[in-house]
Amino acid sequence: MARAVIRRLVFGLIAVAGVVALAFVLEFVVPGDPAKAIAPRAQSPAVLAGIRAQLHLNRPVIVQFADYLGGLLHGNLGTSYVQRQSVASLIGPRLLTTGVLALAGVVAEVIIGGALGILATLFGWARALVGAVNLTLLAIPIFVLGLLLLLVFGFRFGIAPVTGGAGPAQLVLPALTLGLIGAPWYAQIVADQMQDSLASSYIRTAVSKGLSDSYILRRHVLRNVLSPAITMVGLDLGAYLSGVVTVEVVFVWPGIGLLAVNALHDLDRPIVLGTVIVGAVAVVFFNLVADVLRMFVDPRTREGV
Amino acid sequence: MRIAGAGNAPALEISGLNVRYGPVHAVFDACLTVGAGQVVALIGETGSGKSSLALAAAKLLPNSAAVTGQVSIAGREVSGLDAGEFRRIRAGLLGCIAQDAMASLNPVVPVGRQVGEVFAVHAGMGRRQAAEAAVAALAQVEIHNPAAVARLYAHQLSGGMRQRVMIAMAMALSPPLIVADEPTTALDVSTQAEILRLIGELRARVRCGLLWITHDMGVVAELADWAAVMYAGRIVEVGPVERVFDAPAHPYTLGLLQTRRDLRSGPVGAPLFQIPGSPPGPGEDPGGCPFRPRCPRATEVCAEVDPGLEPVGADGGLASGEHRAACHHPAAAPAGPADAPAAAP
Repeated sequence: MARAVIRRLVFGLIAVAGVVALAFVLEFVVPGDPAKAIAPRAQSPAVLAGIRAQLHLNRPVIVQFADYLGGLLHGNLGTSYVQRQSVASLIGPRLLTTGVLALAGVVAEVIIGGALGILATLFGWARALVGAVNLTLLAIPIFVLGLLLLLVFGFRFGIAPVTGGAGPAQLVLPALTLGLIGAPWYAQIVADQMQDSLASSYIRTAVSKGLSDSYILRRHVLRNVLSPAITMVGLDLGAYLSGVVTVEVVFVWPGIGLLAVNALHDLDRPIVLGTVIVGAVAVVFFNLVADVLRMFVDPRTREGV
Repeated sequence: MRIAGAGNAPALEISGLNVRYGPVHAVFDACLTVGAGQVVALIGETGSGKSSLALAAAKLLPNSAAVTGQVSIAGREVSGLDAGEFRRIRAGLLGCIAQDAMASLNPVVPVGRQVGEVFAVHAGMGRRQAAEAAVAALAQVEIHNPAAVARLYAHQLSGGMRQRVMIAMAMALSPPLIVADEPTTALDVSTQAEILRLIGELRARVRCGLLWITHDMGVVAELADWAAVMYAGRIVEVGPVERVFDAPAHPYTLGLLQTRRDLRSGPVGAPLFQIPGSPPGPGEDPGGCPFRPRCPRATEVCAEVDPGLEPVGADGGLASGEHRAACHHPAAAPAGPADAPAAAP
């Protein structure tokens, strides 16, 4: 098992390095001059050239890349062009707020999706209903759902704050939005796995041993659902931590997504690169965690990896 | 723990059992008795309804199957019980051994716990006690180092070991009846022999009745006291196993035995005997005797009347009705090769 983990870590590092290189290249392909973004009113080429020199933008791209990588190896993500602050100090607190939202969103989608999937499997009458709910949630764009929730619970009933920010009260609606958007996937996976499991020979064995339905469900069926659900949670946590941009924009949740969008707008390359790296590391990390967790839940994944 | 009724009641008594899957009538009016401590082999080819009969007797068919008729286990009428009532007593009444032990064990639960569940739920044992009982049960089925094996998962065991675990589960509460659905079919020949021997020994020790579903006539000869032959959802012949083998009354039984004789002693390279034609497909009912289209003895009456099980040849010290066949023209004397079915008329 340790060997499998180390192998995955190495592959993960390679993936992160690839993402960094790609993001760096893309930054320079995107048209626009950061110097102009910093000093939009400065007309004199001398001033702009001065700014470029200050940011080391006048050096060859390959040298800039080497510089950046050198900094990275020392744990230095660089300094923001616009905010004149280290990227790490900008990303740090926002990583925490996005982390809180990502975690709450995943919890919400697991609860909502799991409940829908179990409902659809166990009760015939619920199957069509859950199918319709799933389809609706899949079809609705995330910002429409977010605005809808904000309108209904924020403005109409006034039970949720509409001001934005990162407090516990402000967390509810964005987490619910993420939960509802993600729920159909979990509902589908849970329902599929449960149906497979219920139709299997080992459930017939369990019945032949005189075990009760609820015991069979808890000890024999749900255990077989856990493994694919864990994989999905790992994927989602990684993806959400690289910034749930739309949700953060709609609810003005001060997370990484919001930071990245603003940085893109300002051509603030160090911040954009920083958020990309954080996202890539998060994806690799949570996939690894999910894989390790799965090995505990499903013994078949322990061997032959 | 034994929930059996009267001590000498038959392990299993089935009468008038019908199984329907929608329009498909899988088992017709089956009557079958497994005496206390006896081994009854239920023989038939795929689709003959033998598994449906066994699963119906064990109340393991899905709700989509319509089952009617009477089933008693160890003198206790169970066909009338609702699912909840039967669930509480079933593990004490009958154990089931399935064909595919790999699929029949939960892949993500250690096998020891799967055996222990039976004790925890039905014998009121605590977690640790049940785990100890499970290890003891695994030792009973001759698994070496049972404590270590108990912690393993199904995919870590060999086919023979998995089937031993299934046997340990089925026999955990020493039930008066075991239903085994082709338990050795998926195993290699030497493992097959070991499992056969093990089941035979355990059965004798626990003194439980055994309903053994198979299409392997060799296993029948070795293990069974009684044989019941199924064709197209009907039991077409039933009797003591020597009797059925030496003097098959039904032409279908005769055909099965003929194929086996060719396999064992026929000249190498010679074509094997085959019963001409093929059985009716699911939902197909040709009317009259279902074997008629393939039968060399068929006459007009066979096309009109579906024969019921009737006693044949009450000679040779057999009690009347012990050997029965569903045929209008049963063979009375021990059959010679001249009587083997030829091409369909």
